Amino acid sequence: MSPKATQKNRPPVSQINEQGAGGLAKDILMTLDRVTKTYIMGEVTVEALKETSLDIYAGEIVVILGPSGSGKSTLLNIMGGMDQPTGGEVYFGRENLSQAGDARLTAYRRDSVGFVFQFYNLIPDLTAGENVELAANLVENPLSTALVLKDVGMETRMDHFPSQLSGGEQQRVSIARAVVKNPRLLLCDEPTGSLDYKTGRLILGLLAAINKERGSTVVIVTHNAPIGAMADRVVRMSSGAVVEIMENRDPLPPEKVEW
Amino acid sequence: MKDAASMMPEPETFGIVMVPHNQAQQILDLSGQVNQVVIKLAPGTDEKKAAEQVKVLLEPYGNLADYPRKQQLSDAILHMELEQLSAMAVFLPTIFLGIAALIQFVMLGRMVRAQRLQIGVMKALGYSNPSILLHYTGYALVAAVAGALLGSVLGVIFANLFSSVYAVFFNLPQAIGGINFKAIFYGFSLSVIVGTIAGLTASRGVISVNPAESMNPAPPKSSGRIFLERWSWLWHRFGISWKMSLRTINRNRFRSAVTLIGVVLAVAMLVVALFTRDIVDYMINRCYFEEQRYDYMLRFTTPVKETELFNITRLDGVIKAEPVFEIPVRIHFMELVREDLVLGLPPGVSLKKLYSPAGKIQDIPGEGLLISETTAKKLHAKPGDKVTVETLLGLGPSHLSEIKIAGVNRQLVGGCSAISLASANRLLQESSLISGAMLKTDTGQAALLEKKLNEMTGIASISSRQKELDSFNKKLGYMVYSITIMISFAVVLGFAIVYNSSIMSFTERKRELASLRVVGFTTGEVSGLLLKENLAQLALGIILGLPCGRFLAHAYINAVNTDLYTFQAVIYPVTYVLSALGGIIFIMIAYGLAVKGVKRLDLVEVLKTRD
Ligand SMILES: Nc1ncnc2c1ncn2[C@@H]1O[C@H](COP(=O)(O)OP(=O)(O)O)[C@@H](O)[C@H]1O
Ligand SMILES: [Mg+2]
Repeated sequence: MSPKATQKNRPPVSQINEQGAGGLAKDILMTLDRVTKTYIMGEVTVEALKETSLDIYAGEIVVILGPSGSGKSTLLNIMGGMDQPTGGEVYFGRENLSQAGDARLTAYRRDSVGFVFQFYNLIPDLTAGENVELAANLVENPLSTALVLKDVGMETRMDHFPSQLSGGEQQRVSIARAVVKNPRLLLCDEPTGSLDYKTGRLILGLLAAINKERGSTVVIVTHNAPIGAMADRVVRMSSGAVVEIMENRDPLPPEKVEW
Repeated sequence: MKDAASMMPEPETFGIVMVPHNQAQQILDLSGQVNQVVIKLAPGTDEKKAAEQVKVLLEPYGNLADYPRKQQLSDAILHMELEQLSAMAVFLPTIFLGIAALIQFVMLGRMVRAQRLQIGVMKALGYSNPSILLHYTGYALVAAVAGALLGSVLGVIFANLFSSVYAVFFNLPQAIGGINFKAIFYGFSLSVIVGTIAGLTASRGVISVNPAESMNPAPPKSSGRIFLERWSWLWHRFGISWKMSLRTINRNRFRSAVTLIGVVLAVAMLVVALFTRDIVDYMINRCYFEEQRYDYMLRFTTPVKETELFNITRLDGVIKAEPVFEIPVRIHFMELVREDLVLGLPPGVSLKKLYSPAGKIQDIPGEGLLISETTAKKLHAKPGDKVTVETLLGLGPSHLSEIKIAGVNRQLVGGCSAISLASANRLLQESSLISGAMLKTDTGQAALLEKKLNEMTGIASISSRQKELDSFNKKLGYMVYSITIMISFAVVLGFAIVYNSSIMSFTERKRELASLRVVGFTTGEVSGLLLKENLAQLALGIILGLPCGRFLAHAYINAVNTDLYTFQAVIYPVTYVLSALGGIIFIMIAYGLAVKGVKRLDLVEVLKTRD
């Protein structure tokens, strides 16, 4: 694994340093400690997450794999401050998110997290450019909207409305919207789930490039196992629990991933 | 109703007692005599011819005046009220049914869009278009029937309430309540027809649902540039959130229009409801303080010499007394005739002021007639014209004289023509007679003075401004009642529409709003976005609603103006302010609901469900 240029420029998020597999010091960006999530539906309780612990390192690409219903989205939503766990602790740096109120979680999402969804969720009444700008306006030091759109190859379609864009194009705009805030953490839930193979690969390529160029930590949730090949680490989930964490010494560039 | 000068019936001071005529003749010692003949014509009779014949027949007995029913005061007032009622009976149901249809249309349309997947599944299972259409129209029908049921019950209750108020107001011998089955039948049919039409048109979207496509998530709602964007210098000034709000309104044009109609209607109805209060206030002020400046009006049993006035002036508590001479007349001009009252006033009179139609105080002309506006209009006469005045005073023969019209006066209630006191005497070929007096008094001594006046002989009636005002204010209760009902309608109407469309627009946009929250918008910021939409609608609603209300108010005034009453379409600024405030409150309630929804928004849940 090659050391990432930008990673050095970042101050350590946490005092806790671990010796990584490659012998490099890896800063922990986020820690999930015995996180549980239970849903009570009438008489039935669904344990969506069972005492799940996981560290996310600054600057890595993590792919969370698992069959449908295994708790991947639940885990991602808790990481992104969209949801509170039923039990356990979630730390972002030194901040305990599991204790945070709504205002604090909103600020966390605003400043530190970018989301990419399966169904894009763009604002239909804003053009591609405006969708990105809307997010940029939220933070103090956003990246340039034009630049980010150029990065995802949408600079010529800035003035189009979501309804005038194909699925892949919408997903690219949605990535630009997540990235423009220059977040530490980019969380993607089935980003290729509604895209064809070629377009899906293109999107994964963009995510990898962002990780490389901007140093954002990228977490990708998918049920599509081959995508794991592009990750620094692959987390396998099953029935609400992490069953395996696998380090990938030689992540493939997304263009070479096949499924 | 005593005379045209009283705005409302005054059962305390005036009533009609019915006794068998022979008994009346006995009491009055006028056996075998009558002083009024009431005639009912057979259907199809030529009214004018019959009247002419009766006139000839009664001429030897001193026929003074004949009135067709239309010109009778009570009949005129009853007619006016009935006309208002029948106008309302068309106006209100039309508005309400229209609104109901709009709401059903918008709601069903939204339901069909939201249930795209279910519709797809139904089609995939083999249901036909018509059967699915029927299914959705069924919702509208259920609502229509339930509404009609509830409406019938409430309607019967309200109808009885109204009839009892009318029974009291018009002194009707029997209550006119009961259940009007025809009305209920009409109500049911109309609401079912309207519901069906709204249902069918709204759910026609079912036809275009393709079962295979409906299983995919809905494509993003297609938006586009709005007309404002053509002026880029202006458009650039808007922040992104304003751009978003304006485009959202434009995209949901129909629904926005419905909301707008709701606000406009509510604001306009508030203007109409509140302005009736303005008119009354204005009329009281005009009639009782500007036109009529006396505290008491005395009428003598027979005309007396003007010098008699001294006997009244010297009474304690009388600050000023001015004479009047009232003469009932018939005014002829060209072929036209109209009954009127001529009021003889001394030059420089201070206790009674007459105004021109333009609102200027007019002096009593030394020569000539200051004709009442309604009479002038009826006779098509104008200043400079010469009219013939025929006196109709009970005593002595009637006299005919030619008088030139010196000017026109407008009085809001009743109305009469004015003339100088000397000219009035000349009409009767008399001199220095008066028939009554106007008094300005010291309020502290009013009670004592009234007592003394009552003891004086030769005084037929005393009308007191205070008493008239009191009774008027009591009657105002009736008006407040109907205003309250109007306002409640406005409130219900405005609220129903605004509530519906805001709930709908919120549910439809949950996903969009949740994704904003995910990006990092606070609940306050998301609410702020919604507020902008609401503000845009509010501003438009008020801008259109106020003139709309003004227009309706004027139309209303034109409809109710009669020979007896000249209502001025006065709308006080405070009415506009209050109506606008009403609009603001509706929109803010709707906004409050949306804000509550935003706070409760479960991000994970909303984003998980596919549209
Ligand atoms: N709001 C909820 N109420 C009840 N059960 C839920 C809810 N959300 C998720 N679940 C359940 O939790 C489990 C994990 O769901 P999820 O994290 O969405 O799985 P994945 O993303 O891996 O498909 C599933 O069994 C799902 O049915
Ligand atoms: Mg999932």
